[in-house]
Amino acid sequence: MTTDTQERTTAGHERPNDPADGLPPGRRGMPAGRVLVVLLVGILLWGLLYAPELKRSSEAQPDGIRRTVSLAILRPVVWVEGRLGLTGLIDNASSALGRRPNEAVGGAGDVDPLPSVPTPSHLSGHPQRDTKIREPTAAKPLRVVVVGDSLAQGIGSFAERVFKPSLVDVIKQGRISTGLSRPDYFNWPAQMRLIVDRSRPDLTIVMLGENDAQSLVTPEGQLVAQVGTGDFPPAYEQRVRSFARVATSEGGHVIWVGLPNPRDTRRWEFIERQNGAFQAVADGLTNVAFFDTWNTFAAPGGGYTAYYHDGKQLTLVRADDGVHFNADGYTILMRLVARFATQQFQLDPRTYEG
Amino acid sequence: MLFPTTDFAIFFCLVFLGHWWLNHNPRVWKPFMIAASYVFYGWWNWRYVFLLAAVSLITQVAAIAVDRQHHAKRRTLALALGVAATIAPLLYFKYYGFFTVNVTNAATSFGLHVAPPLIQVVLPVGVSFYTFMAIAYVVDIYRGDFEIASWVDLFLYLSFFPHLVAGPIVRPNELIPQLVVRRDPRQIDVAGAMWLILGGLFKKVVIANYLAGAIVDPVFGDPARHSSPEVVIGIVAYAVQIYCDFSGYTDIAIGVAKLLGFRFPQNFDRPYSARSVQEFWRRWHMTLSRWLRDYLYIPLGGNRKGSARTYLNLMITMLLGGLWHGAAWHFVVWGGLHGAYLAVGHWKEGKRKAGQLAEPPDTLLVHWMQRLATFTLVCIAWTLFRADSVATAVALLARTLTAWRLPSPLVTTPVLLAISAGLVTQFLPHRPAERLKAALSRLRPVPLGITVAVVLFLITTLGPRGVAPFIYFQF
Repeated sequence: MTTDTQERTTAGHERPNDPADGLPPGRRGMPAGRVLVVLLVGILLWGLLYAPELKRSSEAQPDGIRRTVSLAILRPVVWVEGRLGLTGLIDNASSALGRRPNEAVGGAGDVDPLPSVPTPSHLSGHPQRDTKIREPTAAKPLRVVVVGDSLAQGIGSFAERVFKPSLVDVIKQGRISTGLSRPDYFNWPAQMRLIVDRSRPDLTIVMLGENDAQSLVTPEGQLVAQVGTGDFPPAYEQRVRSFARVATSEGGHVIWVGLPNPRDTRRWEFIERQNGAFQAVADGLTNVAFFDTWNTFAAPGGGYTAYYHDGKQLTLVRADDGVHFNADGYTILMRLVARFATQQFQLDPRTYEG
Repeated sequence: MLFPTTDFAIFFCLVFLGHWWLNHNPRVWKPFMIAASYVFYGWWNWRYVFLLAAVSLITQVAAIAVDRQHHAKRRTLALALGVAATIAPLLYFKYYGFFTVNVTNAATSFGLHVAPPLIQVVLPVGVSFYTFMAIAYVVDIYRGDFEIASWVDLFLYLSFFPHLVAGPIVRPNELIPQLVVRRDPRQIDVAGAMWLILGGLFKKVVIANYLAGAIVDPVFGDPARHSSPEVVIGIVAYAVQIYCDFSGYTDIAIGVAKLLGFRFPQNFDRPYSARSVQEFWRRWHMTLSRWLRDYLYIPLGGNRKGSARTYLNLMITMLLGGLWHGAAWHFVVWGGLHGAYLAVGHWKEGKRKAGQLAEPPDTLLVHWMQRLATFTLVCIAWTLFRADSVATAVALLARTLTAWRLPSPLVTTPVLLAISAGLVTQFLPHRPAERLKAALSRLRPVPLGITVAVVLFLITTLGPRGVAPFIYFQF
C-alpha cells in the first residue's frame, strides 16, 4: 500500500544520478570495478605489510575458529615475508615509527613505568614474613602495585583516586587480555619478578583470571593442561601459587581480588573454581589474602546484579558487558579492598579515602 | 562492527561488490543492503537487530497513523503517541538504570521505601542516533515536509550501515530520495572518499587514541596526582581527542557512503575556529545541532515568544541535549552550561542590536581573542563531559589553579605535537587539500591502492595497539 505510493512518486527518478552531481571541480571519478581494485590492492598490500602484527594479535586470541583461520592465513604469509627478508624491513619501519614490534599485544597502554628502588641490604635473599604493612611517611610513601588484566586496569585507575598521593605511590601494571594460562602471550610470573626486583612493592593488588578459560601452555607455547580436563585445576592452582610466591618473595603483601560473578551464568562454575584456587593459595601462604568480590557484589539471593547497596545508597556498579565494573563500581571495590588490607595487614587507614 | 578493523574491511569489500552488482535492480538491491546493514549491526550482538527492526516497525506505523489523520487535533495526538512510541525503547534502554538509582535514593532520603526491579539494561549501540532519525521522519510526515516512504525504504533509511552507530543524523529528505534513485557506478569520487576515510582513521587512531592514553585518561582518572600544567594540557588534549575521535568517525562514515554513491551531510566544520559558542554549535556535531533546533527548540517556541522564553527554550534544549549524550548528571550539567553560554550569547546579541552594547572591533587580534575565549569556555564544559562525575570535574578545574609547582612528566613533546596537529586542522586552508585530492583522483587503480596501503600501514603502526571504541558509540 505505502510501497505503491512510494513507487509512484519515485518512478520518474529511476535513472542514474547525474555524474556532475557529485564530483568537485578538478577531481576525476572512477568506475566501481576500478574502485574495487583500489580497495583490494590497498587492503591486501596493507595486510602483507602488517601481517607480523596481525599474526601476533591472532596468537593472543583465545582458541577458536577465528584464531585458527586467522593463523592459517597469516602464518604462511609471515613465513614467506621472513624468507624474503621483508619482516626485518617491516619491523625496522615499525621501530622507526616508535613501536616495539615484539611488545605484548596487551600493550603498555595505561601501564606506569616501574620505579627503581634500591635493594635494602637486610632484605636481600631473606624474605620477611611479617603480617603488617609498614607505616608510610610523606618522605617514604607506600608502593602499591596493581597487576592483572582489564579488571586490574580498572581498579588500578581508581586505586590512584582512593589512595592518598601524599602517602601512597600507585603503580598501575594492568594489561588487557592477559592471564596465567598463556605465558606465550604475556608472561605474568616473569613480569611480576621484574616488578618485585625493581620496585619492591609494599602491597600488590592482583586481579587476574578473567581470560584464563583456555588451555595452559608454557612460555614457548607447549601444552601443559587442556582446559576442561582433570589436569587443569591443579595445574592452574600451581600457577596461582607460583605467582603469589613471586609477589611476596621480598616481603611484600598481596591482596588477591577474586573475580566477580558475570552476568553469563554459563561461566559461573569455572570462575567459582578459579576463586576457590585463589582462596586456597591465599590460605596457604603468609602475606597473601583473598578478597571475595563474588559475594560482595552478588544479589541477596546469590545471583548476578548490576547494583550495589551499601545500606544507605543504591549504586549501579557493573559495566554493560556484565563482566567489568563501571567507574562507581571500581571505586567501591577499591575502597573495600583497601579496608580489607587494613583488616588483614593493618594497612594504615590514613593512606586511603573512605 | 567497528570501522577500523579487518572485519569491517572484509565486510565492506563484499558489500561494495554486491551493492554495485545489484545497483540496477532496486528490488534485490534494497533487501541486500538491509541484510548487510543488519549483519553490520548484529556483529556486536545479534539480539540488537530485533530492536532495530522493532524501532523501524514502530516508526512506520506511527508515520502512517499520523499521515492518515486529516483532522488537526487528531493528527497532533497521533504525532504525540507516535513519537512517544518511537522514543520509548530509547528511554528504557538508556535511562532505566539512571532513573532507578536516582528515584530509589531520592525516596530513601525522604524515608520512603521504593524497590524497583534492579534490571541491568544494556544500551544497544547506535540506538540514540537511529531513534532521532526515526523521530525526524515521523515529525516530517506530520508537518507535510515528506511523504510516507515504502516499508523497505524506511527500514533501509534507519539501518543503512554507514550512519547506523554514530551518525551523522541524516534527515529523511537527505537519504530516502537517494535510496529510490540508481547510483551512478561510472563516476565514484574515490579520491574524496579515501581522503575522508584515511584522514578519519589518522585522526582516530593516531591522534585521539594516542592522546587518550598519554595524558587524558591519567589526568581525568585522578586529578589529585597531577600538576596544574598537566591538568590544563589534559583538558585541552581531551578537546582535541573528542574532536578527532568523533569527526574521524563521521569522516569515515561519509567516505564509506561516498564509495557507495551516497552523499551524507557534513557533521563538523572546524569547530574550534568558532568565535562564539553559538558559532561553535553551528560547526560541532552539526546534524545533532540542527536536529535539536528543528525538532525541539523551534517546537518549544524558539525565539518567537520573547527573551525570557528564548532563554528557557535554550536551556531546555541544551539540558535535554546533555541528557541525550548520557544518563548521568555530569552530562546534564554540561548541557546546562552550554545552555547558559548560549543564553548569554543571545542576550549580548539582543543588546548589540538595540545599540546598548558596542560591537567588538573587527580586527584580527579581536578575532583570535574571541576564538581563545570560546575555546576556553568549550574546554571548561568538556571537563564536565569527560569526567565521571560533577565532583571530579570540579576537582579537575580547581586543580588547574593549585598545583603549578609540581613536575609535569605527562606534558611531553609528542603530546604537544598531537594537540597541535588536531588544532592546526581547524585553520588549514582548503585549497592545498583539494589539489592533493585532485592529484590522487588522477592515479590509476593500482598506484592508488598502493598509496592507500602505505598510508594505512603508517596509520596503524603510528597509533597505539588495539582497537579503542569510538567515544560516541556509548551515546
